[in-house]
Amino acid sequence: MQVFKLCLKIIKDNIPTLMIYVVVFLGVSILATSSMSNESKEMASFTPTKTDIAFISDETGPLVDGLKEELSKVANFVEIERDTEALQDALYFRRVTYALYIPNGFTERFMGGEDVKIQKTTIPESYSSAYVDISVEKYFDLARLYLTNVENIAEEELVSKVLKDLSVTTNVELYDTRANKADTSYANFYFNYLSYSMLGVLVMGMSALMVVFSDKDIKRRNACSPISTSRINMQFILANLTFAMVTWFIMVGFCIMFNFKNSLTPATLYFVLNSFIFMICGTSLSYLIGTAVTNQEALSAVCNVVTLGPSFISGVFVPQELISQSVLRIASFTPSYWYVKANNEIAGLTSFGFEQLESVFSSILIQLGFAVAMFAVALVVAKRKRYA
Amino acid sequence: MVIRVKNLVKRYGNLVALDHLSLDVKEGEIFGLLGPNGSGKTTAINCILSLLKFDKGDIEVFNKPMTPESYDTKRDIGIVMQNVAVYKELTVYENIDYFCGLYVPDKVKRKQLVDEAIQFVGLEDYVKFQPKKLSGGLLRRLNIACGIAHKPKLIILDEPTVAVDPQSRNKILEGILELNRQGATIVYTSHYMEEVEQICSRILIIDKGKAIASGTKEELKNMITIGEKITLQTYGLTPEQISAAGNLPNVLSAEYNGSNLVIKSTKGKNNLESVLDFAKQEGIQFGTIYSELPTLNDVFLEITGKELRD
Repeated sequence: MQVFKLCLKIIKDNIPTLMIYVVVFLGVSILATSSMSNESKEMASFTPTKTDIAFISDETGPLVDGLKEELSKVANFVEIERDTEALQDALYFRRVTYALYIPNGFTERFMGGEDVKIQKTTIPESYSSAYVDISVEKYFDLARLYLTNVENIAEEELVSKVLKDLSVTTNVELYDTRANKADTSYANFYFNYLSYSMLGVLVMGMSALMVVFSDKDIKRRNACSPISTSRINMQFILANLTFAMVTWFIMVGFCIMFNFKNSLTPATLYFVLNSFIFMICGTSLSYLIGTAVTNQEALSAVCNVVTLGPSFISGVFVPQELISQSVLRIASFTPSYWYVKANNEIAGLTSFGFEQLESVFSSILIQLGFAVAMFAVALVVAKRKRYA
Repeated sequence: MVIRVKNLVKRYGNLVALDHLSLDVKEGEIFGLLGPNGSGKTTAINCILSLLKFDKGDIEVFNKPMTPESYDTKRDIGIVMQNVAVYKELTVYENIDYFCGLYVPDKVKRKQLVDEAIQFVGLEDYVKFQPKKLSGGLLRRLNIACGIAHKPKLIILDEPTVAVDPQSRNKILEGILELNRQGATIVYTSHYMEEVEQICSRILIIDKGKAIASGTKEELKNMITIGEKITLQTYGLTPEQISAAGNLPNVLSAEYNGSNLVIKSTKGKNNLESVLDFAKQEGIQFGTIYSELPTLNDVFLEITGKELRD
């Protein structure tokens, strides 16, 4: 097994270069793990936040005080000068997002049954302003309800009833349709990003082997030995496959390690299957590159092009939904596109019947087609070189 | 017979690289294949090793037809290629171990053979060096060690001293003689006639793919008319004096280049004496005078009309 051992030794010598890909990959993956776990915590719980508002009133009284009390549940009151310019500045610099103005005589007219409006100034399209609006509307709608239906109700009593009613809360249980489904967002991200790193490691490692063994003098020297060419080739292929399998196993293993709690699902199984097929594809591509490129310097350049290029256009770094259709059409000529597409589809599945998986299997078969095609081209190139 | 080649023909398109070449290599000899660059030496070796397909002819090694699948035969052959064929990723020791391992699977035996090979080529101080850190001479020695470590019965060395410093060259030539003493049959190709003359017991001279002469160095030299070459270092000879030198007894030719008068004669006991008498008579003052026997270059020159290094 001289050739096999030699291959492993060459790969071992190339480990520092290969580690760059692995370390960057793992670094990004760890960052993604922490950011996604925070994100999922935020999604799982609701914490109300208070918005900064300016509350300006020309009068005081139970109705206005009650409103202020009710708003204090959803807002922080910021002191602003009663000056139009100061108010605009406060809004512009986001010291407040909402300014509420209650004019003199507002309570009297409201209690008199008039349809009075309070004045407000807000930052356009601010969701926190809408939140304050809802509170204001709720308060006055309820007050108007009491005013209309309870004759001669006193202002204090009205405010007391309104505040009491508004303090009643109802527990709502939200039924999450994803409750029975493990969170696949991390695995989806990890396996998508895996295509870039694994391809980089495979191309660099295997092509380095191919470059060494394609040296004409070395080939001739090996041909003089009593070991048959087929046996040498077999050992060489075995070494390449071992390297590819170990690379795949380590990288997939890290995903399961980082995301163990969400890994024991059918989705993980299909992610792993998809990545295995992509590994075969990457092995074929590496074989092709190693056959066509015979110099170490050119190899690095080619490696960058074939790993980064398809990753950019296929949705590895940027989600496919954000990439234009024309770019995706070009990307569909690369196996990375079908790999990412299959991953995204697996991540979106809630059940794993054949019907749901049909599209995933199609993408996997297309990847296999790419693998066979690239291997065939590599054989043709190798044959041409042999007889050149 | 260790190698028998009969009527070997190899063509590259219209170019005939080997033209009905025949040769026999006997057990225990150092067989020299001498010829200028491009004469077909390496092509012949590549055909013998089945690295190249040939158009016509028969090749037998150890009395068996040689084919790419003759693995048993290959086991007994050591090859030192013209271009250094080692792995730059491996150290000196690992390279020798790798190539030896292609022939000797047993680890213990292999370790002993590798150590012996390292000692033989004098690379003990460089075992952990990678090839890129070795000089040209040391690299050639490594190439030889990789070829001979498994102790083959037949060793083929294809121009192993190209671009090698004199010290390494001597070491290599001494090594080849030692391998032969240990029982290996050697095939040595070179365009350096001095080397071939120094170590080979039998020589085949080839030119343009054809065998033009073969035999021991003495037999080859006896094939030509020149028996002795006398060189006189002197200045200011007149054409008459040069012409007179050419008319001396046994003299075949006298050539003068402004500083050396080279007189070529047939074999004779008194050639040097008659040249000295001639110089005294003519009052020719000279710095040095020396006599040489003909070289293989003279043989090549007389047969082909051109220098070996043309």
